[in-house]
Amino acid sequence: MNKHPLLRAYLAGIALPTVFLLVVMTGYTVIRYVVNVPIPVERVIVFPMAAVPNAWGLWNLLYQAFGQRRDWSLGLFGGSLPLLLAPGGYLVTRLLNFSVPPEVFHFAPFAVPVAMILYYLAWKYFVGFLNTELGIA
Amino acid sequence: MSEGEVHEMKRLLQSAVRPAGETELSRDLWPTMVSRMSRQEVKVPWWDWVLLAGASLALWLFPALVPALLYHL
Repeated sequence: MNKHPLLRAYLAGIALPTVFLLVVMTGYTVIRYVVNVPIPVERVIVFPMAAVPNAWGLWNLLYQAFGQRRDWSLGLFGGSLPLLLAPGGYLVTRLLNFSVPPEVFHFAPFAVPVAMILYYLAWKYFVGFLNTELGIA
Repeated sequence: MSEGEVHEMKRLLQSAVRPAGETELSRDLWPTMVSRMSRQEVKVPWWDWVLLAGASLALWLFPALVPALLYHL
């Protein structure tokens, strides 16, 4: 069990968002094709589909490589990930000319702290549990 | 194989392989296993409950946050 700890860290990191992606994709599909909401979500769906799970995996890999030996808190480390993902997601919408409703920006001061709290809890309990189970905690 | 060769082979094997000695466990390992399993119980501190309640309240008060959060998860 001491082989490839970084690979196991990556796999433990991508597990939760990959599972949750099923929920997100189902929601998006229902909104777009059942409720017929006229928003071309498929143009920006690549971000939650590909970038976010990989970002989680790489973030956990970075934690194993650098953070764990410095006794950093896994929850706080994971909780800081939205500070990278939020601008990344916004950048994707700009690059793909996806018009974000202006109301979203009104809620941004609330959204980022809420995302950081949820990420903190998810990383502390779910990713921490997976890291322990895979013998890399 | 002659009788002498068998004895010689037996002597060589006995000299090469160390006697097993004490094969019984020196102590019962189950209590250690039980204590290790009980250590794995998740204990959630009160401030994590406060954070979860605050985040849930924010999502309830501002439902527009939900799609933005789903987009980043």
